[in-house]
Amino acid sequence: MIVAALLMAMQVAIQDPRLDRLDPDTRAQVIAVVDSARQAGLPVEPLVQRALEGATKAAPGTRIVAAVHRLAADLGAARTALGSNASAPELEAGVAALRAGAPPQVLANLRSVRRSSLTMALSVLADLVSSGVPADSAAAAVLALAPTARDADLVEFRRAVERDIALGAPPSAATSVRVNSGAFVNSMSSDPGPPARPRRP
Amino acid sequence: MRALALIVAACGADAGAHAVVAQVAANIEAGVSEVRYDGFLASAAASVSPTIRWEHSRGRGFVSARGTYLRFESGRHSLDGSINGSWFAPLAPRLRAELGVSAGGSQYANIASFSHSEAEARLHLMSAERGAWAGASAGRSYFSGLPRNVVVLATGFWLLRRDKTMFVSLDRSTIGDTAFSDVRGSARWRGSRLVLEGIVGARVWSRGGGRGVYGEGSAALTLGPEIALVLSAGRYPTDVVRGSIAGRYVTAAVRVGSISIRRPAPAPRVLPVNEPVYTGSDGAVKSAETRLAIQIRPDDVLLTVYAAGAASIEITGDFTDWQPVPLNRVDGNTWAGVFRMTAGLHRMNVRRDGGAWIVPAGTMRRPDDYDGEVGVFVLP
Repeated sequence: MIVAALLMAMQVAIQDPRLDRLDPDTRAQVIAVVDSARQAGLPVEPLVQRALEGATKAAPGTRIVAAVHRLAADLGAARTALGSNASAPELEAGVAALRAGAPPQVLANLRSVRRSSLTMALSVLADLVSSGVPADSAAAAVLALAPTARDADLVEFRRAVERDIALGAPPSAATSVRVNSGAFVNSMSSDPGPPARPRRP
Repeated sequence: MRALALIVAACGADAGAHAVVAQVAANIEAGVSEVRYDGFLASAAASVSPTIRWEHSRGRGFVSARGTYLRFESGRHSLDGSINGSWFAPLAPRLRAELGVSAGGSQYANIASFSHSEAEARLHLMSAERGAWAGASAGRSYFSGLPRNVVVLATGFWLLRRDKTMFVSLDRSTIGDTAFSDVRGSARWRGSRLVLEGIVGARVWSRGGGRGVYGEGSAALTLGPEIALVLSAGRYPTDVVRGSIAGRYVTAAVRVGSISIRRPAPAPRVLPVNEPVYTGSDGAVKSAETRLAIQIRPDDVLLTVYAAGAASIEITGDFTDWQPVPLNRVDGNTWAGVFRMTAGLHRMNVRRDGGAWIVPAGTMRRPDDYDGEVGVFVLP
């Protein structure tokens, strides 16, 4: 059994030398979680990246293993909500939304109303909740926009809400106003640019 | 400082200044500005600001109206207007009561609109060279039609020394769920052709109104009987009631018309609409000291970090397998690097001069599972 485990660990490590940055005990435990996730059909690259992030930030091995384990569990929960056809980016964004406080049912509803990728919609949902918008208000807003809004529209919507909040508007009111007005769509240029590129007023 | 000039004039303590105040004064100011809102690129802007005011001949009251049209180099514009007035009544030889009202509104690019209306009451205790006051105002502020109650409690004192005046005030503002306090001090010197003014302040005990130190200065040089050159610059705080976001500005303007009492520096009241505003957990607007810009190109992604005062910048993230990568210096405050990235969510941090890993503005701040924070952005 021990030999088999060591062989398995060595195999993954050989396949992914990036994990050599971890100490042997941590590496073995991370590889075990990664392998388990792979067998469950979950994307493993986010797990490897989470471990590498911990190494760069000099986190203790136990924290790295716990973080990778938690992420694997959350990816599983996101897949349950979004369905087995969800892409890796969608699952990662789904994890962010769930961790921000969005109910799993909202993720499922988003899947049913939006035909294109959910990555941006889920990310915007997570961002809104992180900005102080109550989870139910944020979910209602994104669900209202999701059927027809382009990714760029969703980004602009998020920016508008965050700006209003920074100016003192109550988060739930700012969200409601922006959804109802649709003004963010009108403010879009033909090329909205990347998500966080600085612009002039 | 404007309030001080009004108080002094209205109460008759500054007879010299009062003597030159016309009953009706109007001017129009046209200028160019360089503005930089917190978290945004600097932008040039042109402005036109008409002002008209009426004052009681013995300083018992005034009514003032003002508007500003501001056009940015992007082609967007903002419009705001306000009207306010006060009436002063003597209660005792050194005691004055003041009742005032104000109202106004602002709009940026037909998108975000603010309006407000307030009533104010103050009590002034004063002598020829000094005075103090306390007061309260109450009203409503509207953001896109949604009302919030406004309550402001304020106190202050002033000193008058020949051609110089000084002013210190403390106020506490509550606007809906937002609350903050401002401590301000200002000074004004008036020469034969030149008026210098400065104000410094700090926003403290803030919940949602931002916090920090600010200051503005201006110089008005009289060029002729009805024309003056006005130079002003500074940083001002977020005005939650009127909907202006904190920022810095430099303005050069020409003022034409009756020139009596200096009007405030033309800090643009606009709402930039195309960029996120980053706030801390308390809602305070963060400084954009270190900012990430993302440019998607056909084969790769250009990441640019603006970091004033840094000697070196490193970046790490899932696109570097979390290996620190030094960025190349583009110019004095700008570093850049090119990376290959897939669409989707990305996590990253930067560090300045080998310090701690931080989250740059331009990304969403999230807990990182390691007792720190990580910046997140999405590539479409």
